[in-house]
Amino acid sequence: MKIGYHHKLTLFAGTLALLLLLASPGGDALAQGPSYSPKEALSIDRMLMCPVCPAETIDQAQVEISRQMKAVVREMLTNGASREEILDFFVARYGLGILAAPPKSGANLLVWVLPIAGVLAALAGAYLIIRSMSARSAQVTGASIPTTNLTEAGLAPFLEAVDRDLALSGDSGTTVHPTGASSYDSGRDSGCASNQTRNGVDKRREQEKNRRDDLEQNG
Amino acid sequence: MADLGAISLWIALALAAYAAIGSVVGKTRDSTVLLDSSRNAIYLLVLVLLVATLSLVVSFINHDFEVAYVAAHSELAMPDRFTWVAYYAGNEGSLLFISLCLSVMSALAIWLAPVKVRDTLPYTAAVLMVILTFFLAVTSVMANPFDKLPFVPLDGDGINPLLTHFGMFFHPPALMAGLIATSIPFAFAMGSLIGGKTGDEWVDTGRVWGILSWGLLAVGLLLGSWWAYTILGWGGFWFWDPVENAAFMPWLGLTAFVHSIMVQKRRGMFRMWNIVLINISFGLALYGMFMNRGGAVPSVHSFGSSSLGWVFLLFLGLGILVPFVIFFWRYHQLKSAQNLDSMLSREAAFLVNNLLLLAIAFVTLWGTVYPLISKLFTGVELTVARPFYDQVNGPLMLGLIFLMGVGPLLPWRRATPASVRKALLPPSIAAAATVLILIAMGVWQEYALIAFGLAAAVTAGIFTEWYRGTRSRQRSSGDFYPLAFLRLIAANRPRYGGYIVHLSIVMVALGVVGATFFSTQLDVVLAPGERVTVEDYEIRYVGTTEIPKSNRTDFISTVEVYRDGNLLDTIEPNRSFYPSFNMASTRAAIRSTPVEDLFVVPSENMSDGSVGFRILVNPLMWWMWVAGPVLVLGAVVSLWPQRVRQTAPAPAPGRVPAGPRPTVA
Repeated sequence: MKIGYHHKLTLFAGTLALLLLLASPGGDALAQGPSYSPKEALSIDRMLMCPVCPAETIDQAQVEISRQMKAVVREMLTNGASREEILDFFVARYGLGILAAPPKSGANLLVWVLPIAGVLAALAGAYLIIRSMSARSAQVTGASIPTTNLTEAGLAPFLEAVDRDLALSGDSGTTVHPTGASSYDSGRDSGCASNQTRNGVDKRREQEKNRRDDLEQNG
Repeated sequence: MADLGAISLWIALALAAYAAIGSVVGKTRDSTVLLDSSRNAIYLLVLVLLVATLSLVVSFINHDFEVAYVAAHSELAMPDRFTWVAYYAGNEGSLLFISLCLSVMSALAIWLAPVKVRDTLPYTAAVLMVILTFFLAVTSVMANPFDKLPFVPLDGDGINPLLTHFGMFFHPPALMAGLIATSIPFAFAMGSLIGGKTGDEWVDTGRVWGILSWGLLAVGLLLGSWWAYTILGWGGFWFWDPVENAAFMPWLGLTAFVHSIMVQKRRGMFRMWNIVLINISFGLALYGMFMNRGGAVPSVHSFGSSSLGWVFLLFLGLGILVPFVIFFWRYHQLKSAQNLDSMLSREAAFLVNNLLLLAIAFVTLWGTVYPLISKLFTGVELTVARPFYDQVNGPLMLGLIFLMGVGPLLPWRRATPASVRKALLPPSIAAAATVLILIAMGVWQEYALIAFGLAAAVTAGIFTEWYRGTRSRQRSSGDFYPLAFLRLIAANRPRYGGYIVHLSIVMVALGVVGATFFSTQLDVVLAPGERVTVEDYEIRYVGTTEIPKSNRTDFISTVEVYRDGNLLDTIEPNRSFYPSFNMASTRAAIRSTPVEDLFVVPSENMSDGSVGFRILVNPLMWWMWVAGPVLVLGAVVSLWPQRVRQTAPAPAPGRVPAGPRPTVA
């Protein structure tokens, strides 16, 4: 029963191809000869699902029906059919489910548009959030920046003073701070407010020792 | 033996339920006795589940075919080494395996829990035990691996031949362990929330277990791809199968989590966001287990249909809903300690990276469920497969690689445009040079050009960082360069481990781009002695030997590979036919070099001795498999415990007097 069906399929493909051939200017078709681009054939194979195997396209599937479908694709290509015509042919036979991805038209446009719209909306949202947060952070003076568990309580007054300086220099749009700008000096990139502040104060002796410790502690 | 297993399973169920209830009651009533006994129950569970596992293994080795699971997944002729694979070859065994993993990891997590999470540990334990109770209940009631047949068959059905591959010893266990390991950071997050600790107490523990789970999933995914590449016989490694997607999505969620948690660790920011991320990751992991073990969709992974669907679906619903209820209950207390300072900062880059990762997960989920939606609302059966994911996820992944190059070069807090320019100079030069060289070589695919350019930029960025760090360390300490480099890595393990992982991701990207854009595929039937030319190679098919085995017949083809007239190699692709399954499994012969893979697989053996071959030349695939060990190395480096010290960069008050260092304040 199945075999009969596929013979009919091939027959149908042949007829269609013949019609296409007749419709096209004769000289052209003859000049091009019975050739097709293997790359094009492969990319069409990758757009068609194997009807009997789960989640495989016909270029992957190793069953008889996918071989026949691949033969049909090549036959139609040889006869000058375009990619769309070939895909339409299979859709007419098997329904939309034969396509590895829904067409970008009609109701199915949703499957393509929704993720893109979602991603753009999320990025726009992130942009707004970062902007409002950084604006808030610029308004905040050092005194009201809460110290986290990352910074030692004993350092708090000292940190606040430096943070105030930082906020000021940030406003003027120039270099934030010597260490702020050179954070890609990896060894010292502890990434912490406290690191910047400590270096911001001119206590050379401590710096030398602290740097050592930073290297070991930046966990 | 099987009876012992069945009894252990019921004992385990009782213990898990007891530990869940005991932890909560003990905590609320402040009963140390109850808390201690609950904790002991959690430790005891490991032992009990090990007994259950061992009794299943012994049943396999003794060929106890009265046990339905043993009869369905093994046979007398099966070599003993496949017992490990047979253990999780079906739903029943893999649920037992998942329970065992969860119980071992829970015990370890609770035993190793640092002081700062001790206060909320009972809640964490309760969350873990609720999850374990669910899995054990499903295992004992609905999918008991120790169920017996009413008769004893003479021989079993045998193991699915697709599973008899080296990769199968590690791919399923790594994935299952990775999926269930997501429970641990999730439980720590939930435990802190329930206990009212809304700060950063859970962050270190959550990060460690998050990376562990992430690494297991990554290894599982790579091994699965390798398995598909060598055994499925079509020359690809990933085809966006619903079950692959189900394992990929939690990995994406966790990737976002392990990045974002660093921001909280360092700057006390993203507190809500991290909880949302771990909730999402856990939900996606549950979904992954549901897809894999519930048998909801047809896929190469559905090993037998199952009736577990609705129970899993219910638990999945609760597993997503309840955490968010808890989250909103504590919402008002979850305030970040600091604000984002600037668009040009590592925090901002991490945030965008998180969004892209979640976007890829969302696109993947959307593609998986859209056919169901379409069928439900319009009645039209649709397929959403590779072309969709390639076209939508492809650009997002390129964006991610871009951020992977830029993010680590940005400082925390804020960067100045000048410093950014300086940092991005070497990567930009590398990218431009790569693109120009590729164009000169005749590569025109714009996707590939962008991908290679970005890969070069990321690599250049990482090596510049390493060079600068090593140089400054060498200058300050006077160490030799190699020693200085190792010390540099040891000094900031999360950061340098991360770089190593980034390199491995670049390697994976090379393989993906090579195979996607530059692969050549040829299907050809060759009679013995015939030759065919593919790219630079000339392939000569010599002949096929037929070797009958107890459970299959092997068809081993001998193929000679020539280039420029010289014999390079003789390879033996093979195809085995399993009469009891009426299916064939292939073993591709792959001649792999860093430049390209030559992949030959027999797809059909004709009666006249000629063979239908599929021959592929896949450039750069080698890099993808080498990436695996590199990725594991990176994860291990970033997890390797540092000398026990406070993670706070500033000296901790308690330590200062003892240390030699003068205090700052």
